[in-house]
Amino acid sequence: MAEDAVAQRGVGVLALDFFSNFIFAFSEAIRPDNLLFCFLGVVIGTLVGVLPGLGPVATISILLPTTFTIKPEQSLIMLAGIYYGAQYGGSTTSILLNLPGEAASVITCVDGYQMARQGRAGPALGIAAFGSCIAGTVSVVITMLIAPPLALFALQFGPPEYFSLMFLGLTVLTFLASGPMIRALMMACVGIFLGMIGTDVVSGLERFTYGSYTLMDGLGLVPVIMGLFGISEVLVNIEQTMKQEIYKTTLSHLFPSRQDWKDSIMAIVRGTFLGFFLGILPGGGAIISSFAAYAVEKKISRHPEKFGHGAIEGVAAPESANNSAAQGAFIPLLCLGIPSNVVMAILLGGLLIQGVKPGPLLMNDNPALFWGVIGSMYVGNLILLGLNLPLIGLWVQMLKVPYPILFPIILIVCIIGCYSLNYSLVEAAVMCLFGVVGYLLKKLEYEGAPLILAFVLSPMLENALRQSLIMSQGSFSIFFTRPISLIFILLAFMLLLSPVIPGFRKKPQISS
Amino acid sequence: MIRDQISSLVWLIFAIFISMESLRLPMGAWRDPGPGFLPLGTGILLGVLSIVNYYQSRPGQGPPPKDCWYSPKGWPKLVLVTVSLFTYILLWPVLGFLLSTVTLLFFLFRTVEPQTWKVTIGGSILIPAAFYALFDMWLKTQLPKGVLGF
Repeated sequence: MAEDAVAQRGVGVLALDFFSNFIFAFSEAIRPDNLLFCFLGVVIGTLVGVLPGLGPVATISILLPTTFTIKPEQSLIMLAGIYYGAQYGGSTTSILLNLPGEAASVITCVDGYQMARQGRAGPALGIAAFGSCIAGTVSVVITMLIAPPLALFALQFGPPEYFSLMFLGLTVLTFLASGPMIRALMMACVGIFLGMIGTDVVSGLERFTYGSYTLMDGLGLVPVIMGLFGISEVLVNIEQTMKQEIYKTTLSHLFPSRQDWKDSIMAIVRGTFLGFFLGILPGGGAIISSFAAYAVEKKISRHPEKFGHGAIEGVAAPESANNSAAQGAFIPLLCLGIPSNVVMAILLGGLLIQGVKPGPLLMNDNPALFWGVIGSMYVGNLILLGLNLPLIGLWVQMLKVPYPILFPIILIVCIIGCYSLNYSLVEAAVMCLFGVVGYLLKKLEYEGAPLILAFVLSPMLENALRQSLIMSQGSFSIFFTRPISLIFILLAFMLLLSPVIPGFRKKPQISS
Repeated sequence: MIRDQISSLVWLIFAIFISMESLRLPMGAWRDPGPGFLPLGTGILLGVLSIVNYYQSRPGQGPPPKDCWYSPKGWPKLVLVTVSLFTYILLWPVLGFLLSTVTLLFFLFRTVEPQTWKVTIGGSILIPAAFYALFDMWLKTQLPKGVLGF
């Protein structure tokens, strides 16, 4: 049906749609209020990307409650800005300190820091910023091109397809987890359980509430996320003494030379496309994309021996890929209503709290939000380019804020943010409790990401499962007889069985 | 490793708890699953995974054991911060936001990694004031007032 619709409309109409969407997206993005929140988002994002020990997940969790007082469109524009802004900012610490500001910049350390040691910190920072901007821009255009047909296609999805897709998303995330897959699956189970606490929407029965009024509405998304990612990160950091030393190098020649461009332009192009498509995949995201882009560059390079010793392609490719992926990840969220990674899961939770249900109909029901966010990404990329290059000196100064002064501020923001949601001290205490749980999980090498994704998806997953079984009169064959669902299920089972399939055992691993 | 085996057992107990509690809920039928259906399935799956994880964690089965999982020097700071955080929340209704935040910051600045008196006193006064101005006065978040009325 959806393919017919696309075919009937023809390429010309789609092109016209593209330009009208393009203009609408930009008219929304440059509205003064949206522009302000976009600016705020990318500035905060760059800052958290620069500051080691405070990643985008923790920051978005911390700031989520404060965005409930503004319009959903502006809230999403700001939070999206934080996410892709952090990808930009993360490169600064990777290059100057050999310390990734956030996980997606880990691989940039390898060649970026070597370039800094050779006195080429300027071109490294420059190519990271330009590469990120180019990747961000291209990925916005691809998003505009593929989002409408994908949303049309997603209209074919019924409960079995949604269940299978969510199942696949959870499986991919557990497959890519940094620890053993079995532990990631355990965390997904815990997340599903936590998501079921509260009143059952079908029967109206209370589950696992034990008479608590706070639990009747279910465990709050914000306390759980802020605890698991915000508070626990602070607890892990204060346990270690963080000493950071900025490599003394000249920060001149931020504009890469002609040779630098020649060496890195194809790496940027490849990183952009690879990052974008890995960003769309359930369970994918900026981290895996940056590693994959680096691996591809090293593999196809005529001089692989230069990698690890200051190859500019080793900075250009992952930095382009992580930005591209950060923006590509919005496609499944906005078009299907399915988060592809933990940041998107948090954003989905935030949107649901504000009464916005992302999915195939979002484009029609709330065009200002859908196109406004996409347009703002392009504007945000330009702001970031303007921010990153001239203000690198300022960002370096920010690195000198001692963590013992920073962490109490983060803790207080977390508590105020959580309390301000429902003016509940119980929720603030729940957040602290989950902070301790998150700390223990990190220390015992259980990943929090599958838990959060499962926690957010749990109500949708349960509804889709129950509706599917009602549709099929209790037969699980419904997941295998519908083609789209069958493809998702087969992919998920391939990944689940991969540890026992010879030759498939070496999985790519990412760190949360 | 012992700690992995212990953590697996904790998860197993948790899984048994979920399963037992789920059995108290209506299960429904295959054609119309009840509210206890998915929790029971989740509990059983978690239990099975915990048992597999336990066996995979036996000495000599998994990767070589890492160093001590906690920092012997860092854990007192950790306990200090955690306890002060819960105490801080308990103090909100009594002392109010401003006074309890001043107390918390003063305590943390002097104990976790002792700062100079200038930073301690300046930070303990200016940071709560800035937060109060931002959240209470500007964003209209009603921060709690204590028994002293502020």
